[in-house]
Amino acid sequence: MKRLLGVALGILTAIGGFVDIGDLVTNAVVGSRFGLSLVWVVVVGVIGICLFAQMSGRVAAVSGRATFEIIRERLGPRAGLANLAASFLINLLTLTAEVGGVALALQLASSVEPTLWVPVAAFAVWLVIWRVKFSVMENVTGLLGLTLIVFAVAVFLLHPDWAELAGQAMAPSVPAGETGGAYWYYAVALFGAAMTPYEVFFFSSGAVEEKWTRKDISQSRLNVVIGFPLGGILSISIAACAAIVLMPRGIEVTTLSQVVQPVVEAGGKLALAFVLVGVVAATFGAALETTLSSGYTLAQFFGWSWGKFRRPAQAARFHIAMIVCLLIGLGILATGVDPILVTEYSVVFSAVALPLTYIPILIVANDKQYMGRDVNGRLTNAFGMIYLVIIVVAAVAAIPLMIVTGAGA
Amino acid sequence: MTELDPAPEYHGQVLDAELNLLDRQVLDVDEVPVTVVDDLELSDVPWGEPIPPGTPAPVITALLSGPVLGTRIFGGRPPASRLHRIAWRHVADVGIVVRLGIRGGELDVTWVERWVRDHIIAHIPGGRHDPE
Repeated sequence: MKRLLGVALGILTAIGGFVDIGDLVTNAVVGSRFGLSLVWVVVVGVIGICLFAQMSGRVAAVSGRATFEIIRERLGPRAGLANLAASFLINLLTLTAEVGGVALALQLASSVEPTLWVPVAAFAVWLVIWRVKFSVMENVTGLLGLTLIVFAVAVFLLHPDWAELAGQAMAPSVPAGETGGAYWYYAVALFGAAMTPYEVFFFSSGAVEEKWTRKDISQSRLNVVIGFPLGGILSISIAACAAIVLMPRGIEVTTLSQVVQPVVEAGGKLALAFVLVGVVAATFGAALETTLSSGYTLAQFFGWSWGKFRRPAQAARFHIAMIVCLLIGLGILATGVDPILVTEYSVVFSAVALPLTYIPILIVANDKQYMGRDVNGRLTNAFGMIYLVIIVVAAVAAIPLMIVTGAGA
Repeated sequence: MTELDPAPEYHGQVLDAELNLLDRQVLDVDEVPVTVVDDLELSDVPWGEPIPPGTPAPVITALLSGPVLGTRIFGGRPPASRLHRIAWRHVADVGIVVRLGIRGGELDVTWVERWVRDHIIAHIPGGRHDPE
């Protein structure tokens, strides 16, 4: 019974934990401009994150080594440092976007200026990291994030033309008025949002935090292959809501209130309440994950003592690094930059950094010294290779597409 | 350049310094991360002069950490006084991590950790307590 409960909890937190500000905004923007014609990218991205999250979790469970230790060890100090610099900066951007997202969601709920909410949100993030146990933190934010299911409910309440939606999703084409460049730019952005590297840093380090062993592998696999796809359905629902309500009116999403507008039209105030709780929980949870990931990556590269299972005094540099990151994020937000804009850039840059993160995971998951009998099977490796090709193509294409399309304008 | 003699046969574990030591995580006797092996220090080999046959092979004297990482990446060499050493005799086991037989808390390589702990983290309320 306890085991069943554990599985259920894991799945629920995976659903709630999958969606962050990057997914919320990118899916709504894409939905409002391209309808459901980019749904296939979410599907490809979700399969990819399942594959690699599961792999990194398995490596952590069997060998006790988290992803960034492996990156340094396999790529050597130079390429490792390059990856650290890239991942760390993207992580910092994402962290900034998530804290800004919490503030924006709280603004919708309270009509108090987001600039006033930002320090409160950042302080709350720090307090949770400083004092709250890992499992409590993960379960509470994940479960509250589940209220985002209201997006899926809203799709039904809006009584859309199902045939048309299915047509957009099944036979994707670039809608009239949009260029092919913009279409592919947003394809890369959606892919980056689904496969953001911090997810595997967090997932593998979380496995070490919760002291997984070989016998936890099957449960983690179940969490991943059920939870993430259900999270992906949430993502698609967000896009669908935007496609149904915003696209016909020609509204382009630039604010968080536009992201939740379809839900409000479908379900009124009650739905708004749900969606606000969901957005706050999802962005707050992601702010925790990105802050921790910045500590994890630094500590694992340099070999510092890390982990929330230790007292802060026993992982001093790990904690000070996270405090500094939060302060930098606060500084960026204090300039008055639009968090939504930061989000849009962070997901595209994520796509650029993907290969440096996922290649070492694939290599080590095949290393017998680490994995013993739990090395990758042939099927996993075949999928891994296919995804490496996709990841490299997306990474190479990201920056040129950004320049050519003027960031999707 | 004369052919090198084949490596003598050993009956213990054979380690490749590059593969098994460099950039591996170092844990102390209590499983607490200490550092990553940033570089290795070998016993002196005369530099730039012919080595007479029969000279014993150099041995690893210490694991290095600290500023040496910067010079390993960008080139150059830090002065010997700035190297943080963990003497090889403290190494207890080499596997997917390097395990020490001593506590990391007293080593030179962890002085930054101790400084941050004693001067900042320990002063913030809750810093010395387990998370709840």
